[in-house]
Amino acid sequence: MRIIGPDYLVFGVDDLEGSKTYLTDFGLKPVQLDETGWLFETLDGTGVIIRPKSDPKLPAPLETKNMLRQQVYGVEDMAALDAIEAEMSKDRRVTRLADGAIEFKDDLGFELRFQVTIRRPLSMPAEKINAPGAPAQRAPNELGVTDDMPALPRSLSHVVLFVPDMDKMVSFFCDRLGFVITDVLTGAGPFLRPAANDDHHTLFFIRTPAYMMGCEHLAFHMGGPTELMVAGDRFVRKGYQSFWGPGRHKFGSNWFWYFNSPLGVHFEYDADMDKHDDTWVAREAPNGPEASQMFLLQWREKWAPGGGPEGGSGKP
Amino acid sequence: MSAGQLRLCHRDDIPEGTARGFLPLPGAPRNVIVVNRGGRLHGYMDACPHYRGGTPMAWRRDAYLNGEGTHIACHAHGALFEIETGACVSGPCLGRNLTRVPLTEAEDGSISVPAQVAGRAAREG
Repeated sequence: MRIIGPDYLVFGVDDLEGSKTYLTDFGLKPVQLDETGWLFETLDGTGVIIRPKSDPKLPAPLETKNMLRQQVYGVEDMAALDAIEAEMSKDRRVTRLADGAIEFKDDLGFELRFQVTIRRPLSMPAEKINAPGAPAQRAPNELGVTDDMPALPRSLSHVVLFVPDMDKMVSFFCDRLGFVITDVLTGAGPFLRPAANDDHHTLFFIRTPAYMMGCEHLAFHMGGPTELMVAGDRFVRKGYQSFWGPGRHKFGSNWFWYFNSPLGVHFEYDADMDKHDDTWVAREAPNGPEASQMFLLQWREKWAPGGGPEGGSGKP
Repeated sequence: MSAGQLRLCHRDDIPEGTARGFLPLPGAPRNVIVVNRGGRLHGYMDACPHYRGGTPMAWRRDAYLNGEGTHIACHAHGALFEIETGACVSGPCLGRNLTRVPLTEAEDGSISVPAQVAGRAAREG
């Protein structure tokens, strides 16, 4: 199953204008789809689709109040769609749409759509660093940071779901759709990557009671840790609420910074995630603060030490 | 304002149907949320009971209510709380409650909270 990863996540929201402002300030580009729908896209075209929660164009809501309505996955080609359709048609209704995409529900009732991916190839440098002993990555006179440096989400990275039945979800995604478990946080759940993506994870499950079923967060790849910090700092300064971070995860090695959102899920900036192939052997660690991160920092106002005993340009 | 009280705001700072967050003391790690519902003000710690210690609930400064304005919402995982009681009626902390903060209104309309709320904010941070 040549699945690449999430192209879009679709939400039915109760505060459309607030959500539009939030997604724009997060760094996504608004594209109006029709009278009631907006796509907010990253640089490679992946992103988030929002509609008012009463919009009949939306798939049915979950039984919980979670606003996630559909996960749209991108695959390599039509042959991949045909293979998924053949597999899924064994035990459930699969709808083939006019554009060739297919829709069905997973074993817990999450709405899924698979399509030939819409993502555009990106050609941009990663964050460049200089260090003694290694060739300089930035040329002489090439600056590492500037006040106006861009820090925009490049691609939709991964989705995290609250799931009431872990075994069903793992067997569905691994046995039926060809996802691979890269690591496991015992007590929370497994990290999964699809066959046509070498990112450490595009999907993570957290075991919860049924009344919590839904999306916990979605994450966006940035160009590096500096872009992540710059984007997060600008976001905080606009009045948005940090939830966790900045920091760096252990499993996946990705930098992270999570924010609350009017979509009732967390939005995460991530950067510099590990890549894996099929020779990788999954690790396992008990879920908790130690396993969750290498380090954890917290945003504060800019400050600088000054000259005298009264020094400093802000509070210490 | 009586001794042992910390002033948060004036009653007119919180129009009907809105909510705002105030730090009880500069540098305190947790806001106190003040909500105006039907002319009556309610105070709660800005600490969702989903995780121990509580986590901040707004998605943007003062954005504590759901889209319809019917409930206090935690914009971490979408929990909804009754404005009058602080009881979670939907979401991860179903059955738990926000920590209520008693509000005192002075004759001039000043709204204040007991000074120990700042200490509580420090512990919950």
